[in-house]
Amino acid sequence: MKDTVIHATNTIAIRHEMRNIARNLLEIQAVDLILGWKKGILPNKSAPAFIHRPDQVDDLIFDEFCYHNLTKFLLGCPDRQDRIADNEDRLKTAIFVKGCDSRSLIGLIQDNQITRENVYIIGIDCPGLKEEHNTTILAKKCETCYTATPVEYDILIDSPDKRPENPNGLKGFQAHRDLAKIENMPPAERGAYWQQMFQSCIRCYACRNVCPVCSCKECCFDQTLPNWVGKGNNTSDNGFYHLVRAMHVAGRCVSCGECERSCPMHLPVMLLNSKLGLSIEELFDEPPASMNFDVTATLNHFKPEDPEEFM
Amino acid sequence: MKTIAKTQIDSILKALAVPYNLYIPVAGAFTQTPGREGLENASQFRLYQEGLPLHWTTNTCLSPKDLLFPQTEEMYTIVSHGKTVEIQEKAIGHKPTILFGIRSCDIESIDCMDRVFLEKGFEDTYYKTRRPRTILFALSCTTHEDTCFCTSMGVNPQSSPSADVQISDLGDTFSFTAQTLGGEQALAYVDALLSEIIGTGPSGALKTQTPDTLKTPEELKEIALSNAADSTLSSAADSTLSSSSADSPLSSAADSTLNAAADNAGNKTSAASPLPTDPMIITVNSDGVSEKLENMFEHPLWDEINLPCLGCGACTYVCPTCYCFDINDKTLSHTTINKQRCWDSCMFSDYTRMAGGHNPRPSKKERVRNRFLDKLLYNRQRHGRLFCVGCGRCVAKCPVNLEIATVIQKIQAAEVTPS
Repeated sequence: MKDTVIHATNTIAIRHEMRNIARNLLEIQAVDLILGWKKGILPNKSAPAFIHRPDQVDDLIFDEFCYHNLTKFLLGCPDRQDRIADNEDRLKTAIFVKGCDSRSLIGLIQDNQITRENVYIIGIDCPGLKEEHNTTILAKKCETCYTATPVEYDILIDSPDKRPENPNGLKGFQAHRDLAKIENMPPAERGAYWQQMFQSCIRCYACRNVCPVCSCKECCFDQTLPNWVGKGNNTSDNGFYHLVRAMHVAGRCVSCGECERSCPMHLPVMLLNSKLGLSIEELFDEPPASMNFDVTATLNHFKPEDPEEFM
Repeated sequence: MKTIAKTQIDSILKALAVPYNLYIPVAGAFTQTPGREGLENASQFRLYQEGLPLHWTTNTCLSPKDLLFPQTEEMYTIVSHGKTVEIQEKAIGHKPTILFGIRSCDIESIDCMDRVFLEKGFEDTYYKTRRPRTILFALSCTTHEDTCFCTSMGVNPQSSPSADVQISDLGDTFSFTAQTLGGEQALAYVDALLSEIIGTGPSGALKTQTPDTLKTPEELKEIALSNAADSTLSSAADSTLSSSSADSPLSSAADSTLNAAADNAGNKTSAASPLPTDPMIITVNSDGVSEKLENMFEHPLWDEINLPCLGCGACTYVCPTCYCFDINDKTLSHTTINKQRCWDSCMFSDYTRMAGGHNPRPSKKERVRNRFLDKLLYNRQRHGRLFCVGCGRCVAKCPVNLEIATVIQKIQAAEVTPS
C-alpha cells in the first residue's frame, strides 16, 4: 500500500514522528493497540511496548537496541484470533516495523495468520542496530541486511541515516560470514563444532518462541503424544530440536536474527538458517522469502521447472 | 590470612582437582568468532581441566545450580526380561565436589534450594546426596555487571558467611579464609601453596562488609591486613555492620533492607545498601512486597505485565532459584527405558496441562503471574524468604526485558484497593 512517507532527519525526529502518528491513530480510533518499542531497564535494553491509550504514546522510542520483531505479538495478542475471525467491527492493530520485520509480516499474511486489512503498518527506515553487549559494534544481523527500508507499509518514516543496501543484493545468506568459516572446516572439526553447540543448548526454546515465522498454534516439540523429542537435555535430542526447527522455518526465514539474539547461551543459531537459506538460493532461482506479496515462500509452492535432481 | 598471587591460581586449582571434583567458572565456547571477541560469554561452571579459559571478572551466565540439581537427572533404568522387570538404580558418585569461585548471590540461591529440597519434611534423595559433599568456595565481587542488583535483595556481594571458604579478590592476590570444617579440610590440600600474610591473626575472617560501597581490591587488601593484625575486629564485625549502616547517609534505605533481611528468617546474609561510589545501576525496594502481593492476585497489573512475554523458558533456566522439574521416560530400546528428572519451566504452556487437556493456567497472564508470585510471595510463605537473589540473569537474558526488578518496582507502585 506504501501510501505516505514522512521525512525525519535524525533519531529524535523519528521518535517524535512515531509518537505523533501513534497519538493520532488512537485519538481518531483507527486502532486500539499499537505495537512499538519502549526503553528497558538499562540503557542497552529496549523492550516491546503495548500502547492502548494516547497518554502512553510518550513511552515510544526507536534506538539501536530495538531488536524485537513485533510481528510475533500479532499472533499472541489477546483476542487476536477473534479479530481474524470477525474483522468487521473490530479496530485495527498498528505495528512499527523495521525492514526485516516487514518481511516477516508479509510472511504471516501470506500464511493466512494475519489479515492485511487488520494491520496498520508504520515502517521505519532502519539505520542498523548495535550489539547489546558491545554497543560500538553493528548488530550481526544488520551486516547482511538488504532491506533497510520496509518492503510494506501504510506510512513510512524515512531517514537519511538508513543503512546502505548490502552490495551483495538479495543474495543475503551468502554474505553470512561465519557460514564460510564452518563450511571450510574439515568434517571432523565441523562435527565437533555442531556437537559443541548442541551440547551447550539449554532447551529454553527462546529461539523458537521469538521467531516470527514459527506460527503453529501447537508446536510439535510441545506435544507429548507422540513425544517427538525427549525432555532430557542431551546432545542428540538438542541437535534434533535445532535441526527440525531450522527445517521448519527453511524458505520462510527472513534473517531477522531474533533467534540468535535471544539465545541465553549465545549459540550461533542463525548458522543453520543461513545454511538452509543458502541451499535454497542455490537450488531455486527465486528472491528471498517474503520480499513482496506476489511470490510465496520458495518451499510453499511448486513450479514444473523446479530442480528435481533426486528423482 | 592465606593468600596466593593471581598468576599462581592454576597451581591451587590443579592441586584441588586431585582429591575433589573441581568446578570452575569457564568462559563460553562460542565467543571466539572473528570480530565479536568483545561480546559477553556464555560462561558457566565446568569440571576443571588445564587450560580452560577462566571467567573471573563477574558472575557466570548460567548459575551453578545444575551441579546440585542437574538439568537432566538419570534416576533409574527399567529393564524388562520377558515377564519380569528389573529396576537398576543410578549411583551418584561419592567424590566430594568443590564449586570454586561461586558468587554471593549464587551462594544465597543454594540456601533457597536447601529449603526446597531438604527442609520441608521431604528430603530429596538426589539433592541430599550431593549437597553435603559440595564445598563452596565463595569469591568476593570487586565489580558488578550492569544487570546486578544483589544489594537490593539483601545480599552482600563481598561476603558469604554460609560458604565453606571465602576467597577475596585483593587486586594482585586472592586471599582464602576457611569458614567451616569442610573448608579447612579443603584448604589443607593447598596449604603449602598459600603464603601467610603478615600479622598472622587466628585465621582472621575478612570483614569487609561496610554496607555502603564495593571495596576496591586495594581497600580490601588494607582491611585484610588490619584484620589479620587485629583479630578482635572480626568478632566485633556484626555490630560494626549495623552501626555503620545506621550512620550512612542512606540509613533509612539500609535499615529497611536490614529489616527485610531480618524478617527473612534464617537469611544469613548481611544486608547492604546501594553503592554510592560504584553504584549498581538497578536498585529495587523489595521491602513489604510479599505482604502487598497477598491482595494482588486479581490486580490489573498482570494484564499489562504479561503482554511481551514470549513463553520461553530462558528466565527459569538461568534463574538460580527456579527448581521445577518433570519426570520423563527416555526409551533406550524395546526392553529398556531410563527414568529421568528434567528441569521444567512454569512459563511453558504444557507445564500445567492435565492429561485430559485442561490447563488451569491457560494463558501467559496466569503463567507470568504465577512465576512472580512464586518468587515474591508463595516461597516467602512456604520457605520464609524471597526467592530472588538479585543475580540479574533474567535482566540479562529475557529476550523482551521482562525482568523481576521492574516487576517489583511496578508492584510497589501499584494501587491496591482493599477487597
